[in-house]
Amino acid sequence: MTAPLLSLRDLRTEYRTDRGTVQAVRGVDLTLYRGEILGLVGESGSGKSVTCMSILKLLKRGGHITSGSADYDGTDLLRLSEGQLSRVRGDKIGVVFQDPMSALNPTMTVGRQVEEVLLQHRKISKKDARARAIELFKLVRIPSAETRIDNYPHEFSGGMRQRVMIAIALACDPDLLIADEPTTALDVTIQRQILALLKELRDRLGMAIILVTHDLGVIAETADRVMVLYGGQIMEEARVADLFEAPQHPYTRGLLAAIPDPRQSGGALTPVPGSPPDMRNPPSGCPFAPRCPKAMAICLTPPDLYGAGDALHLRPAQRTRCWLADPAVPAELMEAT
Amino acid sequence: MNSASRMPLAWLAQRVLMMLVTLLAVITLTFALMHAVPGGPFVSEKMLAPEIEAALNAKFGLDQPVWRQYLSYLWGVVQFDLGPSFKYPGVSVNSMIAEGLAVTAQTGLLAIICVVALGVPMGIVAALNRGRWPDTLAMFVASLGIAVPSYVIATVSLYVFALRLGWTPAFGLDDWRGYILPVFALSGFWMSFVARLTRSSLLETMGQDYIMTARAKGLPAHTVMLRHGLRNSMIPVVTVLGPVVANLLTGSFVIEQIFALPGIGRHFVLSITNRDYTAIMGITIFYAAFLMLMILIVDLLYLWLDPRISYGDRK
Repeated sequence: MTAPLLSLRDLRTEYRTDRGTVQAVRGVDLTLYRGEILGLVGESGSGKSVTCMSILKLLKRGGHITSGSADYDGTDLLRLSEGQLSRVRGDKIGVVFQDPMSALNPTMTVGRQVEEVLLQHRKISKKDARARAIELFKLVRIPSAETRIDNYPHEFSGGMRQRVMIAIALACDPDLLIADEPTTALDVTIQRQILALLKELRDRLGMAIILVTHDLGVIAETADRVMVLYGGQIMEEARVADLFEAPQHPYTRGLLAAIPDPRQSGGALTPVPGSPPDMRNPPSGCPFAPRCPKAMAICLTPPDLYGAGDALHLRPAQRTRCWLADPAVPAELMEAT
Repeated sequence: MNSASRMPLAWLAQRVLMMLVTLLAVITLTFALMHAVPGGPFVSEKMLAPEIEAALNAKFGLDQPVWRQYLSYLWGVVQFDLGPSFKYPGVSVNSMIAEGLAVTAQTGLLAIICVVALGVPMGIVAALNRGRWPDTLAMFVASLGIAVPSYVIATVSLYVFALRLGWTPAFGLDDWRGYILPVFALSGFWMSFVARLTRSSLLETMGQDYIMTARAKGLPAHTVMLRHGLRNSMIPVVTVLGPVVANLLTGSFVIEQIFALPGIGRHFVLSITNRDYTAIMGITIFYAAFLMLMILIVDLLYLWLDPRISYGDRK
């Protein structure tokens, strides 16, 4: 087994706002291998986007990484200066954002927005940058690339704009693509096209992808491995097939139960009851305990990630942050509250 | 899409036509108001002999019926002739405007340059240093510039720099130093206004998603700000610059009075006290036409700034 491309250790990120400090990410460990698609799934506020944006320190105003390391190809990204980081951004790691309507500069042609990355990181002429941009447009299958390159973003549909974003992210052949909810703002048919494109590009170019989404359907279709986040922590980590076949964490089970079954049309949806914790003042124990149908007295103490893989397995198989998964918990603590 | 196709000639023609209609309304309204005001140009403390007044009225066509006066005035305006001054024999309103404008435009142009060349960078520096001392300092100065009226700036600076320190002349534009105080007093308000507007607009733009995209591309911070932030934040600034240019180039009576500059603003107010009908109308029409022209230029600048904007009928 090869060394991981990226390993995040104990990442903690908080946002300082006027109304208090939001503890967005509370100790996330993440290991990513070359060529792998890792899905980060969770509800809004679970910390999934902040986790992946922390890797490149692309945080909005008020965001601070308070601890942790992000070992990427032998370098700790979190220790780099802003100037050193800008040599990684867009070159070794590309980013695709959620809303292609607002993530492109409205006053610049899409071609220039692609060429700009190339000119920043590669020693090439403007003419070559343009040729490469056209090539990239063809790669992400934008029709009539040669003429479309001189258009402005508002002259494209949402799906086409997201293809432009992907072209920008892939311009310098990155080893890692961070895709933050790349299909959330698109309608369903376009979503499938974009996901298929991402998967196909991974197969052709061999880069790893971190795919952030709140949609387990997207994970099932695209990812190899998945991490379920809740309250700024990893609740469960597994290969996609394992997660869908045998979810361990009560939260994951709740999420899977909430997916509407197309075979039972008209049936009522099964939501996870309650609402996510206030991350300015997160619960001291398991963050999901207040909503958990299996909550126990011991859940007020924070559980660890248990399961195969935390000992000698280099590629973690399935791990769960739940007392139920801890073989060492004494039976008398297991009584329901 | 290039800018020509976003600005069809039909739209431009319609736009110019609308300007002419507006101008006609301005002319008609000022003409009507002039004639509704009691008194006349030749009424003064020193009563003129009735025969002389009648002769003067005849000379300037004031004995004609109002509709005929109106039509002949319109005919003059169409030929860019704003008529003779009633008060200063042998002086045409055209030459009055040209002469006043020559003075006003000099200080006005310098003031515009100050507003753009100092106001915009001040806002950028403040935005770049949000919450730190350069921001606080710039915004403190800008708040003062907005709160303190221009005549207070003018008189205080006149007292301090001309009278006390003797660094600048107290009036006139014979020396380059003579320009400093009037230009400062003229531009103070708009410079502050533009600085604040630039700051807030730039900060808003820097919170947009595409700024995060630019950062994710690995562009250095100043490139992100200048290439992606600034252009997108300039639309509100350009919007105010149109009227500001018209305002500064047409002068300020108060400032021209304080510094004893024979500018167009001074002519305007004097012509009102003199009941110099043709001068009042002429200068008003000139102001109106100038302002409309500036607004048209602003609309054309939008085309260049924002490719999403297009005029005329869309398919």
